[in-house]
Amino acid sequence: MGVNRFLRKIFLVDLLQGLALTFRYQDPREIYTEQYPLQRPQVAERYRGAPRLNVNAETNETLCIACDLCALACPERLIIVSSERNEKTRRKELTNFTYDLSRCMFCGLCEDACPTDALELTQDFELANYTREGAIWDRQTLEQGPQPTVYKR
Amino acid sequence: MRDYVLGYLDSTVTPGEAGNVLWALIYIVLIFTGVSIAVMSMNWLERKILAHMQVRLGPMRVGPHGLLQPIADAIKLLIKEDIMPAEADKALFWMAPVVIVITSFAVYTVIPFGPAHAVTDMNIGLLFMLGVSSLSVLGIIMAGWASNSHYPLMGALRSSAQMVSYEVAMGMAVVSAVLMTSMNAAGTGTLSMIGIVQAQEQQQIWFIFKFFPLGLLAFFIFAVAMVAETNRAPFDLPEAESELVAGFHTEYSGFRWSLFFLAEYAAMIAVSSIAVTLWLGGWMRPFAHLLNGRTWELTFSAVPALTFFVLAALAARATIRFPKHPLMRIQRIGLAGFGAVLGGIGLVLLVPPVRDRVQDISWFTFKVAVFMYMYIWYRGTFPRYRFDQLMQLGWKFMIPTGIAVLIGTALVGVLWG
Repeated sequence: MGVNRFLRKIFLVDLLQGLALTFRYQDPREIYTEQYPLQRPQVAERYRGAPRLNVNAETNETLCIACDLCALACPERLIIVSSERNEKTRRKELTNFTYDLSRCMFCGLCEDACPTDALELTQDFELANYTREGAIWDRQTLEQGPQPTVYKR
Repeated sequence: MRDYVLGYLDSTVTPGEAGNVLWALIYIVLIFTGVSIAVMSMNWLERKILAHMQVRLGPMRVGPHGLLQPIADAIKLLIKEDIMPAEADKALFWMAPVVIVITSFAVYTVIPFGPAHAVTDMNIGLLFMLGVSSLSVLGIIMAGWASNSHYPLMGALRSSAQMVSYEVAMGMAVVSAVLMTSMNAAGTGTLSMIGIVQAQEQQQIWFIFKFFPLGLLAFFIFAVAMVAETNRAPFDLPEAESELVAGFHTEYSGFRWSLFFLAEYAAMIAVSSIAVTLWLGGWMRPFAHLLNGRTWELTFSAVPALTFFVLAALAARATIRFPKHPLMRIQRIGLAGFGAVLGGIGLVLLVPPVRDRVQDISWFTFKVAVFMYMYIWYRGTFPRYRFDQLMQLGWKFMIPTGIAVLIGTALVGVLWG
């Protein structure tokens, strides 16, 4: 054992360093946790949370062309796209879109498959529900997105 | 009757010595409430300080900044179901918490908060304190045995082994301080708690600085041993949460458990006050002999009031920065009221007669408070010892060093004293 190490041991240098560290952390500015409902966390930009069906901001029409690619891409087969053909324009039009969140693993494959950027996994993370049925989202819920109670500081 | 009540106010000795039963009772009630309030605030402070050291917020919801958390905890503990294991030894199970609480509160009879502020002054005060406080091992063993369960028994075994082995080192350190009290003209020392502080007053030095570094070493040994004695981190093996659930009080719940909690904190305060009395000059203010004279007296006597003003200012700052939301209004008002109460206490402490009476008590309290902070600080910093490491530290380092310090103090005292 070198003299240096011996002296460190005698004067408890390591313990004092530890004490200094914890003392410094008492500064309230160091606090890392937040008071959740009042302060909302900053979610990472690429976080995959609640799905949303995007609408055209000007015309309020859905961007979904009912191509069914998302349903095909889904490994869990939890997306059901129902559509009917508009006889006038000869285009498929979306009637309903169900998304079963209770089975979703947020892999994001549906999002990648979408050719029009209509389906998107957003940064909303409050997906709790009182019933199992509540976890199955229809077109309306998907367009609105989850609406948690907002608490303000 | 009137004389009996008011006559004591002029005396300069403790009610026990003056033979005044009424004032002794008043002192006992005051100390009991004071310690209980201290334990409650320690509960809040520990959670808060520990949380900040771990970069967390700590209690924030019950009252402003969680200030009402101890009260909520107390209510929760009182209305909790009181479970007694079917296989437990009923009588011992019932007695164990009582024994521990009694032993940890009995020592407060001799703690000197000031030259006249103690229940009584015994000529064997220090011996009484160490003796009674080590009786709490009995309570711990009773709790562990009576639970008739594995973890409590293991905890009790560890706890008793640890307390018994650290008591030796503690005793060595204490005796070296007692030796220092005999460095006067008559050459006789004292075991009386008040006498020990008076010896430091006479020799004009706190014993921690006497015979440097012998006093400091003895103090260091005591400071480590007292953490081990009270079973606190990093020596909290008896209640090692990750290994033994909660140690000897695993099977206890509700009010009985809260008695253990109360006793643990009361013992922490009691042991810290031994350290303060023996080495840090008890009720003496810092630099009592270097900085004397009227101006300094006045400056130092304003410190207790100033402390309360600082606390009040902190509360005011928190009130201003509190979230301005209609739902938070009651909490804001409560915090403002709390700050106002603190400020009011500070103002009362500035009144000259109160200022003079309270000075020694507050210096003693400050010093004990530093020790209580250290307890929390250690808990926030140090990892727990393994049992063999603990025993190694106790028997192979603390006790030999303690004996060496004792012999050294005796030699220095005889040769140069």
